[in-house]
Amino acid sequence: MSRIGVFVCHCGENISRTVDVERVAQAAARLPGVAYATDYKYMCSDPGQSLLKKAIAEHNLDGVVVAACSPRMHEKTFRKAAEATGLNPFVCEMANIREHCSWVHEDREEATAKAIDIVKLMAARVRRNRRLAAITVPVTKRALVIGGGIAGIQAALDIADAGHEVVLVEREPSIGGHMAQLSETFPTLDCSQCIMTPKMVDVANHPKITLHTYSEIEEVGGYIGNFQVTVRKKARSVDMAKCTGCGVCMAKCPQKKIPNAFDKDMGTRPAIYVPFPQAVPNTPVIDRENCTYFKSGKCGVCAKVCGPCAVDYTQQDELVTEQIGAIVVATGFDLYSIEPKPADSPIQGYGEFGYGTIPDVIDGMTFERLASASGPTGGKILRPSDGKEPKEVVFIQCVGSRAREKGISYCSKICCMYTAKHTMLYKHKVHDGQAYVFFMDARTPGKNYDEFWRRAIEEEEAVYIRGMVSRLYQKGDKVVVMGSDISVGIQVEIEADLVVLATAVQARKGADTLAQKLGISYDKYNFYSEAHAKLKPVECATAGIYLAGACQGPKDIPDTVSQASAAAAKVMTLFAKDQLEREPIVARVNERFCAACFACKKVCPYGAVEEKEIRDRQGNLIRVVASVNPGVCGGCGTCQATCPSKSVELDGYTDEQVMAMIEAL
Amino acid sequence: MKNILNYSYYPGCSLHASAQEYEASTRGLFKALKIGLHEVPDWFCCGATPAHNVDELLSLALCAKNLSLAENVAGDLAVACAACFSRLKTTQHRLIDNDAKRQQVEKAIDGPVPLGKKVKHLLEILARDYGLERLQSAVQKPLAGLKVACYYGCLLTRPPEVPELDDCEAPTIMEEVLKATGAEPVSWSHRMECCGANFTLSRPGVVLKLSGDILASAKAAGADCIMVACPLCHGNLDIRQGGIEQASGTRFDLPVFYITQLLALACGVSTERLGLESMIVSPMPLLREKSLL
Ligand SMILES: Cc1cc2nc3c(=O)[nH]c(=O)nc-3n(C[C@H](O)[C@H](O)[C@H](O)COP(=O)(O)OP(=O)(O)OC[C@H]3O[C@@H](n4cnc5c(N)ncnc54)[C@H](O)[C@@H]3O)c2cc1C
Ligand code: SF4
Ligand code: SF4
Repeated sequence: MSRIGVFVCHCGENISRTVDVERVAQAAARLPGVAYATDYKYMCSDPGQSLLKKAIAEHNLDGVVVAACSPRMHEKTFRKAAEATGLNPFVCEMANIREHCSWVHEDREEATAKAIDIVKLMAARVRRNRRLAAITVPVTKRALVIGGGIAGIQAALDIADAGHEVVLVEREPSIGGHMAQLSETFPTLDCSQCIMTPKMVDVANHPKITLHTYSEIEEVGGYIGNFQVTVRKKARSVDMAKCTGCGVCMAKCPQKKIPNAFDKDMGTRPAIYVPFPQAVPNTPVIDRENCTYFKSGKCGVCAKVCGPCAVDYTQQDELVTEQIGAIVVATGFDLYSIEPKPADSPIQGYGEFGYGTIPDVIDGMTFERLASASGPTGGKILRPSDGKEPKEVVFIQCVGSRAREKGISYCSKICCMYTAKHTMLYKHKVHDGQAYVFFMDARTPGKNYDEFWRRAIEEEEAVYIRGMVSRLYQKGDKVVVMGSDISVGIQVEIEADLVVLATAVQARKGADTLAQKLGISYDKYNFYSEAHAKLKPVECATAGIYLAGACQGPKDIPDTVSQASAAAAKVMTLFAKDQLEREPIVARVNERFCAACFACKKVCPYGAVEEKEIRDRQGNLIRVVASVNPGVCGGCGTCQATCPSKSVELDGYTDEQVMAMIEAL
Repeated sequence: MKNILNYSYYPGCSLHASAQEYEASTRGLFKALKIGLHEVPDWFCCGATPAHNVDELLSLALCAKNLSLAENVAGDLAVACAACFSRLKTTQHRLIDNDAKRQQVEKAIDGPVPLGKKVKHLLEILARDYGLERLQSAVQKPLAGLKVACYYGCLLTRPPEVPELDDCEAPTIMEEVLKATGAEPVSWSHRMECCGANFTLSRPGVVLKLSGDILASAKAAGADCIMVACPLCHGNLDIRQGGIEQASGTRFDLPVFYITQLLALACGVSTERLGLESMIVSPMPLLREKSLL
């Protein structure tokens, strides 16, 4: 390209505040190959794009550099604008002088000099760009949803109802997630089970949904429209095809004393179990760590009593590979535990609350199980230590949240509301009881939320104390709560029968490992990152992967369901096309020079290199050379760096281009 | 007789005044353990609470100057008083990432601030450097049967990023050191609560309440006595104990020992060198009862 146009954007003041954009444009105009350069306040706006189009036509430009934000932000926008004038879109490139320059520097002189350098590099590259053609690939119209909480359930049902196949993978023996554990839900106090379990059944019965429970993602390959996902189905030790769900095995299992995690360890369960009676699927699993048969070879009772002979101790983990077009990640959250944290953890524990050693200091989810009709107490509020009904209950908000000194600075968003709910549920069950809440401030921005919180105070007589708690300690059968009431500036002490901590919503343990398998990004707290905080709230930066629910950040059910449906809509948009256009940034082999060493084939992480036979007209084999399948190539450039004879190059990043860029500096 | 370990030593004002028994027992104990303490020549007041309440630069400069004097004596800097310890560590913490402030302080003291000089509380030296095992084998007269409420107060562990001594709200270092003597630490609620500190002069009522709660809680937990690491806490719990008893109408009779007094006693240091007689609540009846004299 020899007639390049350079367009320097101010980005409002985002760039022009630190970079002298006019000077950048003047310097660009003097660069070799540059025929035109200018600056403009908002290049991405309609007038900005018109300016670009007009300049291409008027100055007969054959290449474009837009010096503005990250290509992740607007490369598509400007390529489309360039294409509209008849230019090949791939001769339009972005020079990132915002994220890589103005946002990270303070000194105007230095930032301007750097911006000029960045433009120089890109101009040198565009001079040597080839006019590429987009590659089209077919779309597999089959979605994978990871996580079967309310987010995953909603997304799966929406996509399946649109007529597409869905594979839903859940790590636990049953779908349901946290919502299945809740008693009644704010802001309407409808019973969680009643609104949740029908949806769980719909998932199980939907002809378009394949459900893998007790399963995890083993490996993810491919790209948007064409992922290959390997799922590990953990050995259930029960044949799902044969089991009728009669439950005899669970009744007869002699190993009955295993703490029930679903009930926050308050009740017990047998070694062969379903996590809760309404589980979907209603097929038990054997917890091999606690099963007598697996520990000592003795027992085998469940196999003997099972009518349809479904119990199978020899079952092995099974790996299934699914072809997938789009992925919705909906793996939810974990609750902060107040136990001591490992020494290397950036997040601290609560020594002042006894590190979980005081039996009547519980977390909010434990309270949900106490209040739940299907919980270990049948819905009676009875405290763990002695099973007595507590008459004075203290709720403490923001435990772990908004506590920079403990390592978490964010607000968990749901606990103000669920604590208000807890005080109401408590009052409904213990009429002569008194609830106290220690809080910093009440965050109730949602439809009918503030009204709900006011109701807790005005009608249900919860006493809200603005202040924090410095210490909890056991005194006889009471838990003493030492706190402050900052609205009147006094210290308060309450001798409580039960203390409920609204602990922080945290990312799932292992969320980072899954993210690395999927190739998606996450923040410093391990919550998954959306592509754009405002305009792409459900998309990952990695194409074809979407987010739903609390895995992206703390969320209540209404927000979770909205996001799940939004993610489903994005998947449907993708599936509305039969073919996808892909960036043609792929490797090409120069067959004349290829020495057929196939070093590239060995290093290619995508398995994109094939061996190609070259024959003469008579069909005699002359040579074998390497060849790259453009549909599979991920554009990583590993082959280019490896090839000893320099016969494979990545379009857009050829050796010649990279060297020219370096020389331009 | 060669020392096993050697430290530069900053006693602080209290140890030369109201807490002479802390100083005497520290010296006695460290000698018995063969740990050298080499007093920093010309040290002066760290500024304590008043300086940093009035002028930050003054409080930083006072500590910085003391640290630079300590540079003249080899070894990490041993500190007995919890407040001096806190002020010296705070100074280093404040200046380590704040070049502007550091330059200001350096100008004030006319020299560099030794940010690398390690400041250690006696507890840290005993538990970590000397080690619990060695401490245990140095014990000649086990304090068997003595139930002790270990009292940390505010400054030994807080704020966590400054002293970096132990878990800030649920520490165990005092109990560990105590256990080496054969005494029994009691489990109690108020080991981290504030005693009222300097309010002892301006608003004694506050101290009567706060220190009173501490004494009551120690008593309720079955303690025979309290062990402290701070002269100010000692003053409030020991000197004020009579007043608290009068105000609350409860009798506590809880002797308040410095850590080094109990340790020195266990390590066979002569009782004459422990300053037991200067304690207001006399420990003699208790020590006699437990056959520890
Ligand atoms: C105490 C408490 C009370 C609450 N009360 C209310 C209320 O009254 N009203 C309200 O609106 N909201 C309430 N909430 C919030 C509500 O629980 C969440 O909004 C909701 O559960 C989020 O759903 P989710 O699907 O994103 O996550 P989750 O419910 O956490 O579900 C995630 C699912 O993914 C699975 N999973 C995790 N990792 C993997 C993996 N690697 N592979 C496969 N599967 C995986 C999990 O097993 C789980 O089934 C409350 C929360 C708490 C803690
Ligand atoms: S939602 Fe309320 S309780 Fe929860 S962290 Fe935010 S402010 Fe604290
Ligand atoms: S660029 Fe090379 S290494 Fe990368 S996928 Fe393509 S062929 Fe493989």
